[in-house]
Amino acid sequence: MDPVIDARALTYEYPDGTTALRDATLSIDRGERVAVVGANGSGKSTLQLALGGLVDPSAGTVRYFGQTTDAERVRDRLGVLLQDPDDYLFNATVREDLEYGPAQLGTSRRAADERIARLAAELGLTDLLDRPPFRLSGGEKQRAAVASVLAFDPDVLLLDEPFGAVDAHYRERVRELVGDHEGTVMVFTPSLDLAAELADRVIVVGQTGSIAADGPARAVLTDVCLLRENGLRPPAPVRLFEGILDADEMPLTTAAARRFLVDELGRESSDPSTTR
Amino acid sequence: MTGVFGRSVASIAGALRAVFAAERVAASDGFLQRRDPRVSLCSLAGLALAVMITRTAAVTLAFGVVTVVLARTSAVPLRRLFARSAAVPLVSAFVVLPQAALIPGDALIDVAGVAITDAGVAYVVSFTLRVGVGVALLSLVVLTTPFSSVVAAMRELRVPVALVWVIAVTYRYLFLFFDELQRLVLARNSRTTGRGLSGGWRDARRIAGTFLLRTLDRGERVGRAMRARGGARPPSPYGRRQAADRYDYALALCSAAAVVTAGVIRWIP
Repeated sequence: MDPVIDARALTYEYPDGTTALRDATLSIDRGERVAVVGANGSGKSTLQLALGGLVDPSAGTVRYFGQTTDAERVRDRLGVLLQDPDDYLFNATVREDLEYGPAQLGTSRRAADERIARLAAELGLTDLLDRPPFRLSGGEKQRAAVASVLAFDPDVLLLDEPFGAVDAHYRERVRELVGDHEGTVMVFTPSLDLAAELADRVIVVGQTGSIAADGPARAVLTDVCLLRENGLRPPAPVRLFEGILDADEMPLTTAAARRFLVDELGRESSDPSTTR
Repeated sequence: MTGVFGRSVASIAGALRAVFAAERVAASDGFLQRRDPRVSLCSLAGLALAVMITRTAAVTLAFGVVTVVLARTSAVPLRRLFARSAAVPLVSAFVVLPQAALIPGDALIDVAGVAITDAGVAYVVSFTLRVGVGVALLSLVVLTTPFSSVVAAMRELRVPVALVWVIAVTYRYLFLFFDELQRLVLARNSRTTGRGLSGGWRDARRIAGTFLLRTLDRGERVGRAMRARGGARPPSPYGRRQAADRYDYALALCSAAAVVTAGVIRWIP
C-alpha cells in the first residue's frame, strides 16, 4: 500500500537565507501514530507546513497517498492544525469556524452539523458556539481549533502542539479524540512525554533542521544521549529509571511507570525474603 | 491603556468589539433575522439603490424613516446602527464640501471671501444624507444576518466569485488587523508607565513599522490556516436558506417598487 505521505529530500530556506529544514526524507504509512519531536526552533513547524502543503519547499517533494504532489487536490483528506489557535480561528463565531472546513471541503450540512455537535459536546464548546473566538480563553481557543480540524474528518491529522493551554480535564479528552482517530496521526511537539503517550514511532528533528532519528518510540525515547544531543528532555519515567532499567523494560509513560511500581512493590511485599 | 495612542487603539478595539457584537444581533429574533438571507440582501441593496437614485431630500428622509423602522423591528439598537454607519457619510461630506461654494446659487454666508451658496449647501446635505441612509441600509444586512449567510447568499445569487472572495477575505482580515494592533499596544503598555502626548506619538511611530511587519506575517499565517481547511477554493459557507414567506415577498416587492418609484421621480418629469 502506498504511504499516505512520502517526503523526499525536503529543504526549506527562509527568504533571509536561514535554513529551517534540511534534506528531510520520511515516509508515513496509513494508520501510523507518529510524533515529530525537536527543540524550539528546530524546524518542526516548518516540516509540518511543508508536509501539509502550506509552504513550498525550496527543494524536495511531498507525494500524498501515492497519487499527487499537489496538496490542494487532497485537501479534504489532510487535517493540518497550526500552532497558534489565534491564527486558526478567523471567523466571527466559533460555530462559523467549526463549519468553515466542512463547508469549504464539501461535507454535507447534515453530516457536518452532527459531527460539530458531537465534537462541541466532547470538548465543552456547546455553550461557546455563538461567541466570537477572541472572547475565548487560551484553552478554549485551543479546543475550538482542535474541533475545527476534526470537524471535516480528515484521513491524516498533522497537529502542531495540539494541547497548548488546554487544562488537564480537556487535555485527556483531546488525547482520547486524537487517539481514537481511525486514520493516520502526526503530532509535532517538543514534549517527549506527549510523544510517549500518543506515538508508536518517533522522528527527531535535529537542531540543524535535519532528521536526527526516526524509529520505534521505545528505541528513540530511551536513547537518552541522542535526545540530549538534540536539546530534548527524555520522558519523565525514562529520567526516573535511567541507569536502573534496561531500555526494553523501561516504562515510557507515567501510567506505565505507575503500573511497573505497583507490580514491583506488590512483588516485594509478597516476597518473605524482602520483609523486614 | 496609557497615553493618547493607547486610548485611540482602545477606541478602535471597542469599535471592533461592537462589530463582533453584531453577530449577537444577527442571532436574535427580529423581522430581518427571520427573512431568507437572499431576500434580505437583495431587498436592502434595492432600497439602498433607490436612495442613491433619488435627488429629493424629502424622499431621502422617508427612506431614512424606513431604515429606522426596519432596525427597530429587527432588534437592532439605533445607536449601534448609527455608530456603524456614521464614518462613511462623514468622509463623503468632507469630500463634497467644496461643492457648497462651487455650485452657483444665492449666497448664504461669506467665508474668507468665498461665497457659500444655498444650492451648494443643499447639495452637500442631500448627498451626505443619501450616503448615510444607503450605508445604514447595507449595515442592516450585516447586522441582522450572520456573515457566513451573507456570503452564502451572494454565492447563490451568482455574484462573481472573485467579488465574494474579496469581500469574505477583507471582512476576516479587518478584524485580525485590529486584533494585532491591540496586542502590540498591550505589549507596549505592559512595559511602560503613563507617557505624555509626545511620548505616546513617539511610541506610535516606532510601533507603526513593527505593526506593518507583524500584520503581514499574521496575514500569511491566517492565509495558511484558511488553505488548510479548503480556503484555496471559492467561498462556499453553509447557507441559512429557508422557505420564503409572505413577508419575504412583501419586502422584495416593496424594495422593487421603491427602486421604480425613485427612478420615476428622478427621470420622468
